[in-house]
Amino acid sequence: MNFDLVIAGVGGQGVLTIAAVLDRAANEAGLYVKQSEVHGMAQRGGAVSAFVRMSDQPVASDLIGNGHASLLLSIEPLEALRYIQLLKPDGWIVSDITPMQNVSNYPAMEEVYRVLFSAPRLVALDATRLAQKAGTIKAQNVVALGAAAMFLPLPIELIEQQIKALFGRKGERILNANLHAFRKGDAAARFTQGLLAAGIASDMVARVVSNIHFPPHPVPADLQAAWCQRLLAADAAQLLQQLQQHDELTRLEALADLVAH
Amino acid sequence: MSDLILLGDEAVARAAIDAGITAAYAYPGTPSTEIYQAIEDHAKKHGLPIKGFWSTNEKVALEEGVGVSYAGCRALVAMKHVGLNVAADPFMNVAVSGAHGGLVIVVADDPSMHSSQNEQDSRYFADFAMVPCLEPASQQQCYDMTREAFELSEQLKVPVLLRLVTRLAHSRSQVRLAPPRAQNKPHYVDDPARFTLIPANARRAYAQLIDKQTALQAWSEAHAVNTLTIRSPGKPGILVSGLAWNYLNEALGEAIEGYNLLRIASYPLPVKKIRQLLDASSEVFVVEEGYPFIERYVSALGLMTERRIRGKLTGDLPRMGELSQDAIKPCFGLAVEPSLQLAGLADVLVGRPPRLCDKCPHSDAYIAIKEVIADLGAGVRVMGDIGCYSLGYLEPHQAIHSCLCMGSSIGMAIGAAHAGMNPSLCVIGDGTFTHSGMAPLLDAARENSNIKVFILDNSIVAMTGGQPTMATDEEVVDLVAGLGVPRKHIRIVEPTAHKKHQTINAIREELAHTGLSVIIARRACVTYAKEIKEIKAHKLDIAVVAA
Repeated sequence: MNFDLVIAGVGGQGVLTIAAVLDRAANEAGLYVKQSEVHGMAQRGGAVSAFVRMSDQPVASDLIGNGHASLLLSIEPLEALRYIQLLKPDGWIVSDITPMQNVSNYPAMEEVYRVLFSAPRLVALDATRLAQKAGTIKAQNVVALGAAAMFLPLPIELIEQQIKALFGRKGERILNANLHAFRKGDAAARFTQGLLAAGIASDMVARVVSNIHFPPHPVPADLQAAWCQRLLAADAAQLLQQLQQHDELTRLEALADLVAH
Repeated sequence: MSDLILLGDEAVARAAIDAGITAAYAYPGTPSTEIYQAIEDHAKKHGLPIKGFWSTNEKVALEEGVGVSYAGCRALVAMKHVGLNVAADPFMNVAVSGAHGGLVIVVADDPSMHSSQNEQDSRYFADFAMVPCLEPASQQQCYDMTREAFELSEQLKVPVLLRLVTRLAHSRSQVRLAPPRAQNKPHYVDDPARFTLIPANARRAYAQLIDKQTALQAWSEAHAVNTLTIRSPGKPGILVSGLAWNYLNEALGEAIEGYNLLRIASYPLPVKKIRQLLDASSEVFVVEEGYPFIERYVSALGLMTERRIRGKLTGDLPRMGELSQDAIKPCFGLAVEPSLQLAGLADVLVGRPPRLCDKCPHSDAYIAIKEVIADLGAGVRVMGDIGCYSLGYLEPHQAIHSCLCMGSSIGMAIGAAHAGMNPSLCVIGDGTFTHSGMAPLLDAARENSNIKVFILDNSIVAMTGGQPTMATDEEVVDLVAGLGVPRKHIRIVEPTAHKKHQTINAIREELAHTGLSVIIARRACVTYAKEIKEIKAHKLDIAVVAA
């Protein structure tokens, strides 16, 4: 088993923190791990990445080769695109949709989303708002980690255990916010998987999922089924529009009401 | 599996502690910074009797390490590759005098220049100084080879250079530790003549260094990691060193069995094994991280024609940048794996270079400087230096026009003024000023050079992660005055939007003065505000890891 993961983001977004959580979880799982990261000048608001390589055999290179990553986890949409060439043709992308527009020539968001949402295996989520809902906006990286968890060759409990070890010393409130954040991300990924499995186009799934503020528990099967039915219907585009207008909707249940209408 | 997951840098640090160092010294510089940081953190946490600090610069750090060695104890000295240039004088000479207590100099090279101004390869320095060099390829080897380096240093009385590269220094993996060893008891060198390099002694010491080469050669020849595998005569061969082994291993996979192979991790080069590889192989690929150091030796500058040597000099491997499995593949006729393709990707993918933080005092300093020089017409140049403020070269400031090496801005401004540049301006941070800016400022003060020196005092060494600065606030003023700059031409401004007007006035007044002025832009770094507060509150404690 070889599993290569690219974690991407901008300096200060907590890329190295989630890399550290995964290193320790992989170590607990008895896997070999190598993880290279960026320090120094690049961290000043620049592009930051970490490569996490896990295997049941010793890992040779500290770098991930072209087309070798099974998963690309990004805390920023443009940064997700920066490492596409490392991703396997059938690899998954998990990305926050919240842009960090700290360069003057940052492209139009619609263009970034058009390219990113064309990826066939994508979990796009509003990790920043989910983190806010979970109790701290700083946990946006942990939301993204939660959304990546189901793709990793690690038991979710081991990852949660490392989150507890890392955030436990920062007090109960911070710890709970991070655990909620992690589970919200996981719920978003599972919901995405369900919609894609039902044959709904990935760009539509991306636009829907990134508008939902998931509760930190699994989406019930009947609700998922209702969503699939709705999105496969002829007027799905209309639903999408409705959804985008309902920015204030904060709960999946409220969106379920929307489906029921 | 082991519980410890360490950076290459941290593995070196733990090994040095376990090897019984009495002291460690370093100057921060990416990718070496975490070595001393880890020693300090670990020693403080466990109350270990290890001394050390962030030295004023790399030369001083190495001299401090040599002093420890002289007194019979073990020392680790850490720096980045360009730091070894600063420390070159003690480095070349302690090679001649030799070590007494174990002396290991760990240098982190930066191929691809992730955070550096060049790609210089420290193996040349080890070769130049005729001291052994170890080149680990994994975090475990970082640990093991640091332990080994201390033993070798005491056994053969030589300083040992441990060469890391960015990708190893800043990569984590599991590391298994070995039982720790006690510190040495101080026992001064019994033959102080070899540390007293007046010519008569130096000749004797140099002869001893030459004599040691035989033993070093034998050590390297027998080194367990320098493994030679001759699969069958007439096959092509590969000579691979250091971290390049990992990339080669991954690029070739099982195809590696089609080659004779010599893996090298220690220098001086194991000449006999290289000879055996050449004799058994139809041609030899040399794969190494950094300069084509081995390739030049093995190909005798390309003069050797009995065997074809292929590598960076022949264009078979990229001459610049760090290696990777993908950089190596084409050399062996292997294709790079396909990856996910997204239409329109190239159109949206813009770069995201690093930038000064929001509310950074350097930004306000640059805004004021730019506003003043805008009035002086086009063509005004500002010599820059090394630190966060090097980012002033980039948008939106585009305020500096040079960045050569630590402390260079003041000397360059003096020279440019001599050549007729007027005004001659330069910008240097508080950390870089004490590292190597004081000596050129002494030149300027002695001559009363017509230059304007901006010292951006943000109270911390920020670029490398917030290490304590040697001087800040009034200490900087006292240093500048002590070097001979008249107090009336030492101006202190506060770089804020609010006080921009006063800053600009002060700059204009000093520009009207023909002669040396030092304008200190004093405001603490916003990113490391918490650290600065702690450092200032414990000023006396920062120097010592543990009593």
